[in-house]
Order: sequence, then structure tokens, then C-alpha cells
Amino acid sequence: MVDWRLFEPLFNWARKKSLWIVSFCTGCGGIEMPPLMTARYDLERFGIMPDPSPRQYDLFLITGYVTPKTLKRIIITYEMAPDPKYVLAHGSCPINGGIYWDAYNAIKRLDLYIPVDVYIAGCMPRPEAVMDGIKKLMEMIENGEADGWKRYKENYEWYRKNQDELLGEGWREKEARKWIPWLMDKKKEEGT
Amino acid sequence: MLGAVLKAIFIILYATFVGFMFMGIIRKVTARIHRRIGPPIYQPIIDTIKFFGKRENITHGLIYDFGIIFALGATILALMFIPLGSISILRTYGDLILITFLLEIPMLGIMFAAMSSGNPWAGLGAQRALLTLLAIQVPLGFAIIALAEFYGTFSTYEIVMAQQVGGWSIFHLPLLLVAIAYDIVLQAMFGKEPFDMMIAPGEISLGPMVEFGGKHMGMLQIQHAIGLFAETLFFANIFLGGAVVIAFSSPILNTLATLGILLVKQIAVLLIAIFIGAIFPRFTIDQAVKFYWKWPTIIAALGAILASL
Repeated sequence: MVDWRLFEPLFNWARKKSLWIVSFCTGCGGIEMPPLMTARYDLERFGIMPDPSPRQYDLFLITGYVTPKTLKRIIITYEMAPDPKYVLAHGSCPINGGIYWDAYNAIKRLDLYIPVDVYIAGCMPRPEAVMDGIKKLMEMIENGEADGWKRYKENYEWYRKNQDELLGEGWREKEARKWIPWLMDKKKEEGT
Repeated sequence: MLGAVLKAIFIILYATFVGFMFMGIIRKVTARIHRRIGPPIYQPIIDTIKFFGKRENITHGLIYDFGIIFALGATILALMFIPLGSISILRTYGDLILITFLLEIPMLGIMFAAMSSGNPWAGLGAQRALLTLLAIQVPLGFAIIALAEFYGTFSTYEIVMAQQVGGWSIFHLPLLLVAIAYDIVLQAMFGKEPFDMMIAPGEISLGPMVEFGGKHMGMLQIQHAIGLFAETLFFANIFLGGAVVIAFSSPILNTLATLGILLVKQIAVLLIAIFIGAIFPRFTIDQAVKFYWKWPTIIAALGAILASL
């Protein structure tokens, strides 16, 4: 059996140089994503590519406020990716709720539900600020400090407890079955 | 025997490396067309290393794993039959129908894997890919008929040798028409823009590729690299005269010159595909099928008729 730990520096270098971003645009920060990718602030220089699939990404940008409804999707998308995956919280809202500090349906601290590696403050942060955050993340990956995925595995009970407290026990099943009664009603209406 | 094995290993390594460079060229040239700087040219290699460095892997069963291996194997097999100057190993058997057939097998392998993942987007992408595959058969068939009719042989190597004497295929009018039709088909085989309905990033999330993560995606990257190399090499061989250099006295110099000339021709084919891909938006699947059964088919059929006169 090959000892893959020998290759870890190579893999860390590759992880640093090819961070694929899942195109999950939460809230108003979604409008700051296209300028990052297009001609002026070209993030593809650093090997960063937007990718629509939750199975292939390495970097998850939470761009803006998170409602409980979105949080369900964020958790599912986070758990779908294979392991070295990093989360970059972008804007003020994932840090402490931002201007939605007294809203009944905005998450105040994202860090309670999924592990965050790098925060960027600002409402909205400039593309330069996002690039700075990504540069920080790259350094952390190289040093092996970006270990959100490891923390999520080790402290899964804690994260799971927080998620269940907010969203209610068994929210995954409930979410999946939510539309079935509605579809049944629809069918009955069409039948008669 | 050992010589053949060494040759095979050399061809695979060379094709993989050059294929990755082609993928890098695609991204770099597209970026320059958009007035961006773009990634470094070796970026696909970094991506592949990253995919193989994932700690977790997702699998949906035996066929899911097997489909990827099947696609990669079929691409390598297709590569073995295409004459790479003087260093191919199965070129005497490399007949047009066989190579065209083998170049389409990888798509089937990816389909197997995608369908067994149970993801509805993957199923939708697979359906679209099979329709595209069906649509490109018609002009492709006429193209092969025209070539075989013109040169009187199905063997790719004999076609290359005939072009050494009689000039490149695209300088004969019937074969020029066929080459245009084949180039339009090539756009779909590369998965480039006007005909990338099977992948359709953004439209149907990634089509068949949506469920592949980690090592499966790494294998698919290698398969895509070798596939790009094989398809451009096949086009360069049958239409752009291939290359058999015997100008130098040393065989190594001859081989290097052959590889260099072939590389220039392959990049020319690739650049046309990139330029078309960068400026045309995507067709819907019904438009694409209608298009393929109309214009390329008419052009290729005209070429086939002219070739047989």
C-alpha cells in the first residue's frame, strides 16, 4: 500500500491552486460573484472556476444572509461534497446577522451550523476583499490550517444538535416529503 | 513484444500530457477571447491532481465505477488504432469505421455511470447525449463513405500515405465538403459550445458529470484529455495529410519532426473549435438534431456523391 502522506504537500499545493467554487449564490452577495469571474477581476488566474455541481467543488462561498430555508440547502450541499472542502463566509450577515440582527428568519451565526474557514467583513465586500480572503484561504490550505471539514467530522454531534434545534428534528425527511400532499391534492383536482 | 508495450506506454503518456495541454489551451484561449488573463496552461493537470487527492469518494455501485473505466479504456483503445506518424502500434488494423466507432464508445461509458447514479440531472444529460450521438451519426457516416470512395480503402494509414502523394484531402473539392461537415461534427464530439447540450453547464447543472466527484472526476479529466488528443489526431490524419517525415537520416529526428507537424495540425483543428465555441451560444437539443440532419448531412452527402462520380 502506498503511503499517501508523502504526497500530501503536492496535494495541498494542487488544492490551493485549483479551488472550484459551487455556484450557490445566497442573498445579495450573489451579485458580487460574476464580477469576480469576468474580465476585470479574473479569478480564473488562480485556477478558480465556478462549477454547478455540489459533488466537485472545494470552496463554498456563503454570499450573504442565510434564512432557515436556505440553510437546509446549504447543509445538504455542504454534506454532498467529498472531503477537503472549505467555506468562505462573505459579507457581514453570516458573521453576526448584519443588518438582519433582529429578523426572525435570518441566521445570526453561520458558524453554529457549518464550519467556516475564512470570514470577510463588508456589506458588500469589494471584489478585492474577496480576493484577499481567498488568498488568506490559500495560505491556510498550504499550512494545513483550513480544517473546517475536519472540524465538522469531529464535532458532528454539536453541529447536528444546533441544526436540529433550529430546524426541528428530522427536517431532512420533512423537507423531502413536503410537496407530496400538495401533489396528491393536485392529482385529485385534475382527476375530477 | 517489449517494443510494442513501450510504444503503447509512450503513446499513452504523450497523449495524456498533450491532451492536458490542449485542455489548458482551450481555457487560456477562451479567456483571451473574453479579455481575461485566464489560468496557467497546465491548470487541468493541477485540477486532476486535486481530484485524485480527495479524501472521500462517492460511489453508487459497480456500474458507476465500471462506466468510467470503460470510457477511459475505450479512449485509449481508439488512440492505439490511430496512426501517430510512424509510432502507432495497431495502425494496420486502424480502419475508419472502427476508429469512429471507438471514439463514440467513451460517451456510452459515461452514460452507464451517469444513469446508475440515479440523479435526475444526470439522466437528463444522458438522454441528451444519446440524442446528440444519434444526430451526428448521419453526417459522420457520409463522411466515411466519401473518404473510402475517394481513396478506395478504409485503412487510415493508407489514406495518410495516399495524401503524401496526392496532396491533403481538403484540397480535393468533395473531401473539402466532407471535412467541413466533419468539423461541425467534431464540435459535438469535443463537447464545445454550440453543441454542448449533453453537458450544458448552468442549464442542466452539468448533465452526466453532475454526480462525479473525487477520483471519478479525475479519471474523467484524463479521459477527456486523451479523447481530445485522439479526435484531433484522427481529423489531422484523414483530412490534413497526417505526417510521415523521412527527410532526416536519424529515425529519432524523423519521429520528433512527425510529432511536431502533427501537433501543429492538431492545434489548428482545436483552435477552430475554440473560436466557434467561444462566440456561438448553445443550441437546444431539438434544434441541434434538426441542424445535424439538415446542413452537415446535405454537405457530406454532396461530398460523398461527388467523390463517387
